[in-house]
Amino acid sequence: MPPNERAEKQAAAQQAVDILHEIATILNCHLDRRTLSICISMIENGVSPEALANVIKELRKQNLDAQLEAPVAAAASTRRR
Amino acid sequence: MAANQRNRVSNAIDSLITHLVPARPDDDDQAAQDRHDACFELVRAMFDRPASPAIASDVNHASDLIKRKLIQSNPTQALRFSNLYTRLLSLPVLNQKWAILYLLYQLSDSPDPNEAPPLSPPKPPPQQRTTQRAGPAEKERRSRASSVVPTPTPEEEAVHEAFAPGGLKKLPTEKTKRTQTEERAPPQPPADGTSKAAARDVLIKSTLLADSSNDFEPSEMGLLRDLPFTLQGLSSTTLPFAKDTVLKLPPTLPPPIVSLLHTLAEPSLLYRGLSSFVKSPAKGLLGQSLRAAISNELRSYLTLVATLEAQIRRALAALDESAPRGGIGKAGVTLKRCVVWTREATMGLRLMSLIAEESNTKHGGQLISMIHGFSASHGDPVVAAFAERLLADVTRPFYDILRRWIYDGELSDPHLEFFVREQSPNDEDRQESKAKGQASVWNSKYEVVDAMVPSIITADFAQKVFLIGKSLNFIRHSCGDSQWVDAYSKTSSKQLCYGDTATLEAWIDEAYKTTMRRLMHLMSDRFRLFDHLQALKNYILLGQGDFIALLMESLAANLDRPAFAQYRHTLTAQLEHAIRGSNAQYDSEEVLRRLDARMLQLSHGDIGWDCFTLEYKIDAPVDVVVTEWGNRQYLKVFNFLWRVKRVEFALSSTWRKCMTGSRGVLQTSDEQVLQVWKSTRGVLAEMVHFVGQLQYYILFEVIESSWSELQSNIRKDDCTLDDLITAHTKYLTAITHKGLLGARRRQYHDALKEAAAADPSSTNPAAAPTPEDRNSYMVQLSELLRTMLAYRDCVDGLYGWSLSDFTRRQESDAVGMVRRAKRARLADNSSNPNLEDPFTTAPGDNAAGDGGGLRSELPALAERLGQLGASFKARLQVLLGDLAYQPDVDMRFLGVSMNFNDVYQPVKRKKTAAAGTGGAAAGQAGGAANPSRA
Repeated sequence: MPPNERAEKQAAAQQAVDILHEIATILNCHLDRRTLSICISMIENGVSPEALANVIKELRKQNLDAQLEAPVAAAASTRRR
Repeated sequence: MAANQRNRVSNAIDSLITHLVPARPDDDDQAAQDRHDACFELVRAMFDRPASPAIASDVNHASDLIKRKLIQSNPTQALRFSNLYTRLLSLPVLNQKWAILYLLYQLSDSPDPNEAPPLSPPKPPPQQRTTQRAGPAEKERRSRASSVVPTPTPEEEAVHEAFAPGGLKKLPTEKTKRTQTEERAPPQPPADGTSKAAARDVLIKSTLLADSSNDFEPSEMGLLRDLPFTLQGLSSTTLPFAKDTVLKLPPTLPPPIVSLLHTLAEPSLLYRGLSSFVKSPAKGLLGQSLRAAISNELRSYLTLVATLEAQIRRALAALDESAPRGGIGKAGVTLKRCVVWTREATMGLRLMSLIAEESNTKHGGQLISMIHGFSASHGDPVVAAFAERLLADVTRPFYDILRRWIYDGELSDPHLEFFVREQSPNDEDRQESKAKGQASVWNSKYEVVDAMVPSIITADFAQKVFLIGKSLNFIRHSCGDSQWVDAYSKTSSKQLCYGDTATLEAWIDEAYKTTMRRLMHLMSDRFRLFDHLQALKNYILLGQGDFIALLMESLAANLDRPAFAQYRHTLTAQLEHAIRGSNAQYDSEEVLRRLDARMLQLSHGDIGWDCFTLEYKIDAPVDVVVTEWGNRQYLKVFNFLWRVKRVEFALSSTWRKCMTGSRGVLQTSDEQVLQVWKSTRGVLAEMVHFVGQLQYYILFEVIESSWSELQSNIRKDDCTLDDLITAHTKYLTAITHKGLLGARRRQYHDALKEAAAADPSSTNPAAAPTPEDRNSYMVQLSELLRTMLAYRDCVDGLYGWSLSDFTRRQESDAVGMVRRAKRARLADNSSNPNLEDPFTTAPGDNAAGDGGGLRSELPALAERLGQLGASFKARLQVLLGDLAYQPDVDMRFLGVSMNFNDVYQPVKRKKTAAAGTGGAAAGQAGGAANPSRA
């Protein structure tokens, strides 16, 4: 792959991510650019979008749960602050 | 290739997990790794599940979904999306654009993971995973970093909840319920801490939003269930009516719901009030019709409530109990919607209750005016249209009454709501006019009550309506022509109703014309009104000269006798004689029948002339025109004219006597007697001239001209009975005013009626009640007439004296003749001076003695004649002086024609007091009048 072509492709990909990020903002998806690019690459690699959506929701929930598990410590730390 | 792809996917999953589920600071590496692995497994399992076949791999499909969603929620963003989408399509890099879009669509409006726990950390750095296994220092740093993440303190939580859209305080019991409902939403992962996770989940703002409105007791569904009853004004368990005007809301409700219920309570309370108003007994027909119209409107309101109830029932039945907010948002019926649906009805109810409230103090036509006020002059078109609709029903009884009134001439108004009303007999005004004799069936039976004329009818119109009904009523009851009225009401009766004012007016105009024409026709043809007026003029106003002359001639001898010697039968016999002997005999029987001669009440010392009167009897329907008052005026004029006529008659008979006498018995050679006679004739001629002018003036200038005016007024095409009455009253007033009978000197004209009522025809001016009445022309004229009569008596005395003088002279001539013959014979026989002497002197002495006796009367007579003549002249000059300052042209002209050659010097009023010759009356009058004028 010639380097200029590669750079071109990267620019195009960058542009795509920009556009998609904007759409995501409009739709209130709460996806940051990094997550979005990961998602794009996964989908480009043939992952079903529906499954991916479920996965993202699920992972978010997991994260929440994880945060809930240590509320006391967190609260204590906030107080201290 | 597949392996490569798989590998890439695994890497991506790895980084995704790291990214989305950052390692916990307090976990050790092993635990973090475990968790990471668990997640990884989970994700893999999910990916391996077969994709739902429903998803079409079409780029347009996904974009359509997104677009539709955006258009619903945020149209401007939709446009922006379209732009972005076209740009995306033009990019060459991506193969699975639809899939990405679909992913975004699936994730759209997802709760923000960074916000769900308030102040959650901004995106944790993606490299966290690598640093996770770093040393304790690194861990320390991380722990500090994550310690920034505060779990909400209870206060914060409360604040957050308070600002949640529902603005509710969560009751502890609600929390569990909500969590239960919540748990079903997404496929629950078998992850750890389920219940706690769910409990935490409800803190997510969007969930709060959706959830909030179910957090009260009674629930919205319960309220909705009870709402139809409340709207019908019935108490329900959740919303009981404490009093008639108080709806009690449960105390547990949050403020927004309370305010919604306030709005919904308005129609309920209004309905309650109105339904009790509808049931309340009405005072009149219009009140009843108002109640009927309102209850009609209430019925349509109830229809609305019924529809609402059906909607609520269906919605509640279809309700998914487990959906957020009880799924009420999807059911399509919420309290807010109910508010919107009942909005218009509430306005109607509000207006009606306003009307109902005002109607308590209003009555009949005022009620219509009030509602019409809303429809005609209210700026809000909805209110105007509503009032208009109401008006159509409310006015129905009014138009029924109106129809009965203008087509049947009957007032069927049991509750006194119409603007025409029967007059109450004990009203003060009424009794006054009755006392004056102006009351009649025509103008005293009904009256228009101005306050009751509804504003849908103009004042002119109301007057017309009043006249129509009055005429019909009059035709039916006074003219006895009810057949015509019945026929008329059958043929022309029309259903009147509110709305088409132009047609209504046309109909009423038509009815007006028909009725008036009929009434005038009846008056002129059946009741001979015009014939009667003509007869009144001919007989009472002395229009028929030959009749009056004959009557006076035949009655003269009779009337010279005292009043108590007059007998009705002789009077009527003479009247009959006068009729038969004059052109009056050709008048119709109808007219002559009514003519009657009678005596007025006699007072002591009156002679027949003072009491005699002609009468023309007027009966039922015609007496609305020739009222009692009118009759009195006629009589008054007749009495005055009769006296003038009598004076004229007396003067002319005396004049005739003098003229015939002057050729015979009055011839004398006595210079003195001739002189007396000459001056007497002069004064007599003056008097004749005066009476002639007076009669001419009254009969021609006053009566005839008023008559022709009356004729022109009543012969008009569109003359109504009212016009006729007015014209006739004007006619009479003109006659009494101008005929010197009622007019006061100078500015007393406005007191005309009182003067007329004060009976100036009284023959005794000393009995005149007030000094002002002494001033009236009537008194002056009667003084003049009395002077003339006295003068005539004097002249008769003079004539008698002259006659006796003549006979004496004739006798003495005869005696002289005899004596001369005797003397001749004596002279022939013997001439005896002794005998002759006493004879020659004796008759001379005798004659001197006789002549002295007779002659001694002459100066007394001459003096009396001179006095009366001077008095006459003085009075006449006062009268002329007054006439010269009369505002009325005709009366001033009377003065001119009486004094055409300036033989009299009209005396100004002020000098009369000094003049003194005018007699005590004039002097007193001047004296009485002067201070009042000063």
